Amino acid sequence: MKFDLETVVIEESCRTSALATRIMSGIPRSVGVRFVSDGRLAVRSPIAEHDAIGSAKRRMVILPRRGSFLMGCPASSTRFACCGYLVLVLASNCPMDCSYCFLQEHLANNPAFQVYANYHQALDELERLVRDNSGRNLRIGTGELADSLAFDSLTRISSDFINYFSKHQNLLLELKTKTDEIDHLLTLDCRGRTMVSWSLSPRRVFATSEHYTAPPQSRIKAAQRVLDAGYKVGFHLDPVITYPGAEHDYLELLEDVFDALAPQSIAFFSIGGLRMTPGLRAAARRRFPADKMLLGEDVLGADGRYRTFTPLRLRLFSKLRERLAKACPDLPVYLCMETASAHRSVFGAAPLTPAALGSRLAGC
Amino acid sequence: MNLSQGERRLRVWANAKALPLQCLQKWLALKEPGRTQLLELAENLRMRTGQFVAALALLEEIAIREGREVGEILASPSLGRVYNSKGSGPGRARALLDELRSLRYPQLKHMLQRLGEEVAAIRLPRGIKIVFPHDLSSDEVRVELTAHGRVEMQQLLAALNSKTRELVRLAGIIGGTDDAFESK
Repeated sequence: MKFDLETVVIEESCRTSALATRIMSGIPRSVGVRFVSDGRLAVRSPIAEHDAIGSAKRRMVILPRRGSFLMGCPASSTRFACCGYLVLVLASNCPMDCSYCFLQEHLANNPAFQVYANYHQALDELERLVRDNSGRNLRIGTGELADSLAFDSLTRISSDFINYFSKHQNLLLELKTKTDEIDHLLTLDCRGRTMVSWSLSPRRVFATSEHYTAPPQSRIKAAQRVLDAGYKVGFHLDPVITYPGAEHDYLELLEDVFDALAPQSIAFFSIGGLRMTPGLRAAARRRFPADKMLLGEDVLGADGRYRTFTPLRLRLFSKLRERLAKACPDLPVYLCMETASAHRSVFGAAPLTPAALGSRLAGC
Repeated sequence: MNLSQGERRLRVWANAKALPLQCLQKWLALKEPGRTQLLELAENLRMRTGQFVAALALLEEIAIREGREVGEILASPSLGRVYNSKGSGPGRARALLDELRSLRYPQLKHMLQRLGEEVAAIRLPRGIKIVFPHDLSSDEVRVELTAHGRVEMQQLLAALNSKTRELVRLAGIIGGTDDAFESK
């Protein structure tokens, strides 16, 4: 286990669960363990706690998920040209601490790191999804409200899902991460139905803003290793931050990727600009007051989010798209949380529908 | 509490303006000479509370972005020109805020100037107006026609038609196909 935990809180109803047993046997003795009757109460933070979101990242709560595990991507909207991504919520929050992370606002009221002991029920939901969507290619990820791999060597949750997806040719599991915690995946046979994807940023963004994450070079090396082990690999240039020198740095980052991996071997790239609601912007600046990356030339858009003003942002996207197309004309590239008109500016063509793009990305 | 004369003056101004406590604390945390320079600015320009809060926030952001002290920023020539210009205090305070926004958003300012120059160079007739979104927050370019009668409308549409290439170019600039930022 690479990330520090201070406490593990286990709901009584999960005391004998396989997940709790695995976690208990894997954590160091120094980590405090306590049992509570209702795990939901342990998920919240004391009102007066200084940096509640920061300290909650070191408190793991094992509890049953009371809602459904499967949902549409929370970022999707009719305002945007979306990718048809489905999300499997197996955990919530992340031990890493990126200054721009939307979880700072999204999980402000329930910030503890949650893992769901009844995650096997998600397989039933997947069965229903498969039954109701026969023949459709679907891409389903576990890395939206949590990093897919940060604690996976401890929880071993992903292996059950890798096994399940390996038996379904129209499903693709996406494990999204900023870690290089992939060793435990290498011996599993995913039969090409699991993709490990990395959010990638230039070294400068990593150094200032992506606390406790693996360096970009380590992520790229990890991508090489999982690719060799039979997994698909994707990259998210997200958030793209338009600081002075960004174009050079992002293009250099792509060179680093293509030095390590053949462009044809990469399943897709997504591109998304830094976007922040006013609430997130305030929370991020409060927690990271000296982070220059949070102080770009961002302006408030019609969707209530701050983004870099349009020509500067779209120009950088276009440069990245050009470089990706040069590396491999068939490499799927899509924009995240951008409008159809932004898509037309960058790609010179209208975006696919979410269902069509989702199917293409799932089948790639 | 033994307050220096400067801090006493600062607190008197802050109290008179009902400055929010958080803002006062940030002001007091500034290093000298920035702290006192800002007080002199606030007094001389007769800044309103909202103007002061906005100015302090912009100064803090510029300081972080550029790795400079607030005192250095306040000593910059462009701000000095505003400070020493003629006009009413509140008017100069507004101009100061505009200049601070330019320092905080230099590429946006540059792009807005550039677009203004491009529009002027098209030499559209009176009655055709090009409107860009506030702060270039989207890629929308709006063309407004104001015609009185049939003949005027025909003339404006003909003029617009003759400027197709230039207008498409404008839309391209706002859509990010422009190389104005290449060296930034």
